[in-house]
Amino acid sequence: MSIEVPSSVDEFIQGEKEPASSGVVVVLGFVSMLSFLILYGILFPGRDMPVVSEVLPMFEGVFDSGIWFFLIGVIFGAFSIVATMLTEATSE
Amino acid sequence: MDVIVSTLTIFWLLLALSFILMKRGLWIFNDVAKGLSMFMLEKALGPASDFVSGRPGSASTTWIIHGLVWAFAASTFTFMGLWLGHDATALHSFESWGYHPESSELLYAGRLTALFGAIGMLVVGASLYALPKLCGTHLASESNATLVSLLWTLSVLLMFVGSQNEQILSITILPVANLLLTLASTALIINVILTVSEATKEIPFPAWLIVYAFIGNIAAVLAVFASGAFDEGVGQWLLFHLAGGTFFFCGLAGVSLYSVSVGSGNPLWSKSLVAFTLFGAVITINPMGSTDPSMVVDLFSLSSNELDASSRDVIVGSFLMALSAIPIIAFSANMLVTLRGSDAFVENPDAPGIAELNLGAWMLIPIAIGSLFVQTDALGGVNELTGISQSIDLMAIWLVMIPLSVGSALNVLPRASGRHQLSANRSRWAFWMMSGGAFLGLLITMMSDFTDMALTESMAEQGASINMELRKVGSVMFYGAVIGAIFHCTNTISGQYRGRIMGGPSEASLSSIAIESYSLTGPTSIRKILASGATLDTEVSPSEQSKEEGAATEL
Repeated sequence: MSIEVPSSVDEFIQGEKEPASSGVVVVLGFVSMLSFLILYGILFPGRDMPVVSEVLPMFEGVFDSGIWFFLIGVIFGAFSIVATMLTEATSE
Repeated sequence: MDVIVSTLTIFWLLLALSFILMKRGLWIFNDVAKGLSMFMLEKALGPASDFVSGRPGSASTTWIIHGLVWAFAASTFTFMGLWLGHDATALHSFESWGYHPESSELLYAGRLTALFGAIGMLVVGASLYALPKLCGTHLASESNATLVSLLWTLSVLLMFVGSQNEQILSITILPVANLLLTLASTALIINVILTVSEATKEIPFPAWLIVYAFIGNIAAVLAVFASGAFDEGVGQWLLFHLAGGTFFFCGLAGVSLYSVSVGSGNPLWSKSLVAFTLFGAVITINPMGSTDPSMVVDLFSLSSNELDASSRDVIVGSFLMALSAIPIIAFSANMLVTLRGSDAFVENPDAPGIAELNLGAWMLIPIAIGSLFVQTDALGGVNELTGISQSIDLMAIWLVMIPLSVGSALNVLPRASGRHQLSANRSRWAFWMMSGGAFLGLLITMMSDFTDMALTESMAEQGASINMELRKVGSVMFYGAVIGAIFHCTNTISGQYRGRIMGGPSEASLSSIAIESYSLTGPTSIRKILASGATLDTEVSPSEQSKEEGAATEL
């Protein structure tokens, strides 16, 4: 008589806690993406990199430069600092 | 007229006088002066001092967190300034609000907030913890030092406003900011002197570096005004560099040398090199910083004059700047050798702050040499290297001063607050982002500066298109410094609430082969103990050995 042993556990397992470096990886990917976008002007000479206002016409006359991609990141960062202060101080 | 010699003579006399007063005291007025000073620091503030806790380390923690937030602001302004260097109309949409941002103004705001907001607050924060420890005492007034951090932050905020808008309601903003900064500095000096007066052991040299960081700055201002040199271009240039050599260099050296020993667990390599660093810093002229003393002109509301040095001033200035190589090399060598110790890290080498201290110590010498060339060129009126002076200045800030101040602060903060940063891993990422971004970004910007200089020299009518591309890549690279600063801020703030408690079990050195305890049965070497899988945290317990002859076990 033989015992049947499953060849795999066949179970989806997911960690409960988020590793500290996962957010870092996302941000690093985001910054790398922006850095690679600089290549756009080199690959397509004479055609500048698209800016926010070209993708979203409602921002025309406001977000007319590539700097706004980065400033949105800065604004996000500033809010994340404020949010960290508030949530850490008020969490139980 | 020999502006440099006469001003420096007064400066050295003031420093000597302050040393004598600190060592000899005020004769019979000692107790009265101490009591009055303590009253001014605490009771005279009335209910304000009740708003903050006087817990040991609270002042240091507050200053360091403020400093890290300013590092984020400074990196943002510098990034924007660098970007506007190649795309002047990038932020034209702000004009609808009446704000006309320019590259030079944003870089100026970045320099002011980095120097006084980030570096200044981090150095003061680390000093407020390190100085009492070095003197074997407590800070004279924790609550006053905590309150003063708010005043300092307000002055830096006004500096940012003043850098963008010189006058508001016909009030010139930067002198007001400087007035608040002087008020805060005075309170800090009183606090520091009272702390030193309560020293229970011989005061080591790093503590004197910290003390002279505070006193030297005020002495430099008094010397320049007493000699009447404030109205001359050379005098303004000298004040800029004396403040840089005292508050910034001495302060950074003091807290870095303390942190490098505490952080690595190794004893400070050389006491005499620290003495060289201290005496060299106050006797020589530090070459790091801008060639343009407009910051001094703006902060003290002086009339701007050209840097028109006499031949004797050029000789004395160049000689004293070259002489500053001695304290700079002494400081850097002491840091690097202490970090390495005897090839063994007693503390965790991955601890936050260690990598920053290492970077700052490495970058100090090449950037100081570069600054020396640029300053000598400017002082002599040759002005051939003016094109790279801004990049060298930014490099001194972001590759020497910010790493050393952030490294010291990250080392001190867990000891002051009682909790580690939330994640050592994130801290290491922040280091790579900040240092990589600043190094690559400013290096590429400097390449563009050299191209500009070459084009100007050849009197080319059109600029090279690659130049703008280089500036663009440089500014994007510098964005890493912004991201790194955000990581440091969130990591530190979260660490204050959820970070591992200081003094708890160390996790960093544990591995799958590490053993928790080791029984010592006889004389052995440390090499054999380490070879058995023991780590620096393994508990070695001696077990008794019987020398009696064996016998049959009785049943």
